[in-house]
Amino acid sequence: MKRFTLNPVVIALLLAAGLFALGGVIRPGFANYTLALNILRLAAFLAIVAAGQTLVVISGGEGIDLSVGAVVTLGAILVFRIANGSNALLLPALALALLVGALIGAINGVGITLLRVPPLVMTLGMTGVVGGLILVITQGRLVGAPAPALNALVSRPLVFGIPGVVLLWLVLGGLMWVLLERTVYGKQLFAIGMNRTTARLSGVRVPLVVIATYALSSMLAALGGVVLLGYTQNVFLNLGAPYTLPSIAAVVVGGTLIAGGMGSYWGTMAGALVLTILTSLLTALTLPESARQIIYGLTLLALLAVYGRERGLRQ
Amino acid sequence: MNITFSATHVIKRYGGVVALADGNLSVRSGEVLALMGANGSGKSTLSKIITGVVAPDAGQLLLDGQPIRFSSPQMARAHGIAAVYQELSLIPDLTVAENIWLAHEPTRLGRVDTRAITRRTTALLELFRGTIQPGLQPDTAVGDLPPDERQIVEILKTLAWEPRLIILDEATASLDTQQVNRLCELIADWKARDMAIVMVSHRMEEVFRLADRATVLRSGAYVGDVATAETSEAALVQMMIEGGVSPRQATTPNPGAIAVRAELDNIHTRTLHGVSLTINAGEILGLGGLGGQGQPDVLLALFGAIPYRGTISLDGAPVRFRHPHQAMQRRLAYVPGDRGREGLLANRSILENLQLPSWSRYGWFTRMRQAHADGEAVAKTLRLVRDSLRAPASSLSGGNAQKLVLGKWLLRDPNVLLLNDPTKGIDVGAKGEFYRLLTELRNQGVAIVLYSSDDDELLGLCDRVLVMRDGQISATLQGPTLTRTALVSASMSAAQAEVA
Amino acid sequence: MQRTLKRPNFAAWRQQSFVFALILLVLAVAVNVQLQPNFFKPSILSGNLRTYLPLMILAAGQTIVVLAGGIDLSVGATVSLANVVAVQTLGQNPSAGQIGLALLAGLAAGLAAGALNGLCVAYGRLQPIVTTFATSFVIGGAALAIMPSPGGFVPESLSAPYRSNPLAIPMTLWVAAALLGLWALVRQTRYRRYLYAVGSNPLAAYVTGVPVALIRLSSYMLSGLLAACAGIALMLSNSTGDALIGTTMTLDSIVAVVLGGTRLSGGHGGIAGSLIGVFVVGFMRSIISFANVPSWWQTLANSLIILIALAGPGLWALIRRRNV
Repeated sequence: MKRFTLNPVVIALLLAAGLFALGGVIRPGFANYTLALNILRLAAFLAIVAAGQTLVVISGGEGIDLSVGAVVTLGAILVFRIANGSNALLLPALALALLVGALIGAINGVGITLLRVPPLVMTLGMTGVVGGLILVITQGRLVGAPAPALNALVSRPLVFGIPGVVLLWLVLGGLMWVLLERTVYGKQLFAIGMNRTTARLSGVRVPLVVIATYALSSMLAALGGVVLLGYTQNVFLNLGAPYTLPSIAAVVVGGTLIAGGMGSYWGTMAGALVLTILTSLLTALTLPESARQIIYGLTLLALLAVYGRERGLRQ
Repeated sequence: MNITFSATHVIKRYGGVVALADGNLSVRSGEVLALMGANGSGKSTLSKIITGVVAPDAGQLLLDGQPIRFSSPQMARAHGIAAVYQELSLIPDLTVAENIWLAHEPTRLGRVDTRAITRRTTALLELFRGTIQPGLQPDTAVGDLPPDERQIVEILKTLAWEPRLIILDEATASLDTQQVNRLCELIADWKARDMAIVMVSHRMEEVFRLADRATVLRSGAYVGDVATAETSEAALVQMMIEGGVSPRQATTPNPGAIAVRAELDNIHTRTLHGVSLTINAGEILGLGGLGGQGQPDVLLALFGAIPYRGTISLDGAPVRFRHPHQAMQRRLAYVPGDRGREGLLANRSILENLQLPSWSRYGWFTRMRQAHADGEAVAKTLRLVRDSLRAPASSLSGGNAQKLVLGKWLLRDPNVLLLNDPTKGIDVGAKGEFYRLLTELRNQGVAIVLYSSDDDELLGLCDRVLVMRDGQISATLQGPTLTRTALVSASMSAAQAEVA
Repeated sequence: MQRTLKRPNFAAWRQQSFVFALILLVLAVAVNVQLQPNFFKPSILSGNLRTYLPLMILAAGQTIVVLAGGIDLSVGATVSLANVVAVQTLGQNPSAGQIGLALLAGLAAGLAAGALNGLCVAYGRLQPIVTTFATSFVIGGAALAIMPSPGGFVPESLSAPYRSNPLAIPMTLWVAAALLGLWALVRQTRYRRYLYAVGSNPLAAYVTGVPVALIRLSSYMLSGLLAACAGIALMLSNSTGDALIGTTMTLDSIVAVVLGGTRLSGGHGGIAGSLIGVFVVGFMRSIISFANVPSWWQTLANSLIILIALAGPGLWALIRRRNV
């Protein structure tokens, strides 16, 4: 007899569907195809940024990456400048953005493992550094142009009116599944998140896995920035900042254990959907910003209470 | 101040394991009672029940003639019963004085009376003056203290509650001779001041020096009480081991047991002070002795998990592993007994636990079907009782979880197997199966090093047993010298070890 | 035995977790004096210092939470909430009674915000980072609801003392002294011991009889209360209310706490270090702006210095581990 338990991913998806339906009931016209596509598009940006955050949170050890927002901006700005409207330069620019992202993340990882700086502090400090780097690169002038191909890929409908970014997101979802479930890295990532001593005594080189994880996180954030550029067609200095904390929220809402060791990218995808629908719904209800924030916060708290409780001291 | 306390027919089970089948004990003011028994006889459980840390399943506690039930250590303390914990309860970031008075600080007008605290702490430290570093002051941070001085602070912390009944559970384990002597003087003094003292100790010399009476437990059951003046060391050891003892499982001597697989030469770590030994193929080498004598460090140093000084060679060539990963490449395997902390990924699947060291064999895109099939094969060899390999490891019983921890290495075909008290907390049936597996591996030529806190296990399984004391090997028992009496007395007194 | 090796002479110094921050502070002041000869001129110094005052109070509160093993990402929102609550209660042309009421209302708002966090973390056993992140929306939303756009009026009589330098000592230093004085009082009570015990080893504290959950709750409430004080300080300094005024202060408060040598996992450190941390951050910034660093490089230089300062103790420990 197997007890029926609700998978957090299913909870989040049900919640997303419920919220969407609720929107349709409260505000007729909310639940239409175009709006659904738009929600998917917005959720895709958040979810791509949150992909790396998922890895970091799974890795445990109070893992968190507060530098994703800054790296999103940096990625977008690099491609904006280097590709400068040219399709031919798009790929080299993308490669460079990803490389710079990976490097930043690797530095985070080294600080966290070798220097034992708490992840919160290390990535917070890195946020400032990346912000400074952006100012140095741009010298205050955001020159450049979006590559047309990028815009075409991200914004134009490809099939059934579905924009490219959503398909890209699905591909990323598949790749993340492979990474987490079908590679040595993924298996070791879950292991270090669950119990670092056990992992080490089973031959896992914990620091190496942690450094790789933070590198991947920043790389995916840079990718998120590039994709976002395809949508916004322009860059500004706090392009990515609003994504930092929601990326963590998406991971949590998707049921990934904050303590590490359990979770999935499917969950984060569903979490990004929930948050995006919630935001859209609150906007559609023309609630004031204050009410939106309060409801957003309470929803997070409620979800956290459902599956984020820690163990008590009394056995 | 006067106190009489007794526990009668106390029972405690953990899951299927009976930790205490029939615990009896009585003690009164002005008396020192020694609670004795071999490893796993239930003395720790009994003393935890007395101090309210563990709730008994059945039985009666009488305090000053009245039945009583403690729901917490605080409640026991309020009734004047306190224990010196073996597992330390100190806050490393607080000072000695702050730790000793934590949660019962004397206050004046809401302010902690630091002067009184310092004065009283100094007075308490004075009790051990001469045996501790002069630098140990009331304002020294506990985190900076070596283990022996922490243990002393632990003792003083208990004393500060001014208990009527004090329980010393292996309180001397990390103390040096001078400190032990001082503690003995103190105990005599407490006794003269009408305190009741229960000491759980393995050290015979202390028991005979201090205790008026000894209560002996064996396999969780009460054996009897003897006045120490009317008995001898040998007679006490007999009480602790007589009857109830499974005869030594006849392990056929392995004719192939000659090839030296690994050699340790003069190994030093934090707890080891010069250990040299050889490990042979097709042999189970036991590490025995009391807990905390450095046995796990032998295994961990060999496995590359802790830094060490000295030389380790494998198949004749010196090696220096800096990470378990390297030891694994040379077919070493480490099986911890503390499954929760060191052995399992509790919420991950059984398969992921089994394959954790071996995933890299299954290619870039992990061939799950193959990994699953291999996992099933090992599970079958282990006779692992499970729903499916996808169930979380935490769903397994203790015995099956331990098989799982062994199983992950069987997939890698190890030739040196290091076991750190592997059968801790698993029931008799599961132990039997585990022993069968170990014997099979030994017969296949695997070199096995087994540290066990269970003497029966060492006697029943091992071809050779090294008894450890204070980070050194104090006796080697083999063939005719590998007897229970020799093992128990070598563990408990240094003098006897040389005789054996 | 090898015991003599274990207790080096500087152990007592190592206990003072803020030594590293103090060295940085001395360095920063020295460089500042080199770059701006009139650095110590009272008007300039007090002007400089005044901008650090709200963050200083905030960092003190954050320190208490961190010492107890938690973290509070909602302090910025609480600053805003207390700020707008106080300004709204003040109204136009307030009487003395109304001024008192406004201050009390601001403090009460901060206390309530802290209680929300504390109940969730201590009794609901929710993970502190994400919990206080979530409550920061609730608290910030409440602030926005009370005052959707910046405004309000603060009488000159109320804000003047804030800008004054009693006895020629900048107000900021008075407040710092007051915070340290209060902390010194707290240090004499059981509370301080419980705080460190809970942050250092909650299980041992629990076994010994320390009311762990209560201590955690109270740490968040104190943090909320101090955040409210910071919000009121901002009201006095800006003479208006703004529901977004605290937003950027949260992360600064954490940087100051960590720079000040308080261990993020709890049980070690203190408020003095965090105050020094605030000054270090401020003085470093002023070095960068007075040195001839090209303007677009200033943020990078500044944040690199902060990052290195944050990682400094770890680097030192790494070198020592390598040498042993």
